[in-house]
Amino acid sequence: MEERELTLEEAFAQLEEITGRLEDEEISLEDSFAQYQKGMQLLKYCNDSIDRVEKKVLVLNGEGKLDEF
Amino acid sequence: MKHVYTVGQVNSYIKNMFTQDFLLQSILVRGEVSNCKYHSSGHIYFTLKDEKGAIACVMFAGNRGGLKFHMREGQQVVVSGTVDVYERDGKYQLYAVKIAQDGAGRLYERFEQLKADLQEQGLFAPEYKRPIPRFIRRLGVVTAPTGAAVRDIMNIAARRNPYVQIILYPAIVQGEQAPASIVNGIRALETLGVDVMIVGRGGGSIEDLWAFNEEIVARAIFDCSVPVISAVGHETDTTIADYVADLRAPTPSAAAELAVYDYSLLRAQLDETAAGLTRRMKQKLTIHRMYLENARVRLQHKSPMGQIREKRLWLAQLSDRIKRGMQDRTDGARHRVALYAERLNGLSPLQKLSQGFSHIADKEGRTVTDIDSVQVGDLLTIHVKNGRMTAQVKEKEFWQWKKES
Repeated sequence: MEERELTLEEAFAQLEEITGRLEDEEISLEDSFAQYQKGMQLLKYCNDSIDRVEKKVLVLNGEGKLDEF
Repeated sequence: MKHVYTVGQVNSYIKNMFTQDFLLQSILVRGEVSNCKYHSSGHIYFTLKDEKGAIACVMFAGNRGGLKFHMREGQQVVVSGTVDVYERDGKYQLYAVKIAQDGAGRLYERFEQLKADLQEQGLFAPEYKRPIPRFIRRLGVVTAPTGAAVRDIMNIAARRNPYVQIILYPAIVQGEQAPASIVNGIRALETLGVDVMIVGRGGGSIEDLWAFNEEIVARAIFDCSVPVISAVGHETDTTIADYVADLRAPTPSAAAELAVYDYSLLRAQLDETAAGLTRRMKQKLTIHRMYLENARVRLQHKSPMGQIREKRLWLAQLSDRIKRGMQDRTDGARHRVALYAERLNGLSPLQKLSQGFSHIADKEGRTVTDIDSVQVGDLLTIHVKNGRMTAQVKEKEFWQWKKES
């Protein structure tokens, strides 16, 4: 649920944190598995959240409707 | 009879009148520029005119610092300087020290006043600046639908990231209706919902850009809940809108670059992050595998099986050493026995007897080796190879071993 509202920026921040934790020598193997999995999910989320459809410029007309530019 | 004067005297007299006139020594004249010539010497010659007349003007090269723009025909200007006589031609002219565009002065005053007011009210305060989100989906643009600004923004946005939706509010950006139109645009796009808004226009004169110095535009930008990037004119133009905007872009193109993230860069970043994560995880696994291997080896050494194997190995070594020691010892003994046997053999009396030597003993059984231990008449026992006999000494002679010479 929470991940739905995540922005790319937040996702990147979390990824940064996870990467940092994985670098930590102290982390247990179980934790590192969990972190890695979380990281991969975040990456997938980032990828999925980019809407890869080319957009045409829209113009807001006088009636508050959108036309193609 | 009236006095006759020379031309030079007349001109000199008039010049003196001008010089003594307080007003003419420091005067501001408004008019339209015509016949403007920038001379190669650096002096500028022009005529200032209005509907009533004209006056010749000159600005000497040394005063060029008083002119901040390029004067063009037809421009309304205010010239400050002195009116003086050029005796050689018998002409008076305006010697310009400073030239300002007319109107600009008043506009500038208004600009400074509004800027000071809004600043005092905190509209420019950094704590009110909204951060510009890095990854946007929808970009609002308030600008003229025609012109370079909208084209620049569209081109740059499409090049960096064609997946960002641009919504244009076609605004009037100069003239009477411009401020209201810009304000409407900001509100309409805010209501529609965009992630970031660019508000601006391409370059133009200070009058052309004036709408962006209006208070209602400044307040609309300040009140807008969507982060606003201002992009008015060129780098050198700074408007009130620029001060109040969350981010000021020097040009519309720059605004598009600030608003729209580079998709290929993001892609690369995502890939790199993924690679980094996997690499770190692999490192982690490798390290743990090494620990595991290390632990396995150590455990093996400590296990009973390991102990037994080790002891057995030791045992085998010990037994080898014992055997080798034993062997060496018996070999040595055998060798010595053989040596003794050889020597013994050489000393054996039997051996001697068989070669024709005999053994002689006296009656007590002592071996006879000395002639002095025997008397004539003594009975001696002679042993030969295969028996013995008794013989009596008939005579004896002491042998004197003489060395030959």
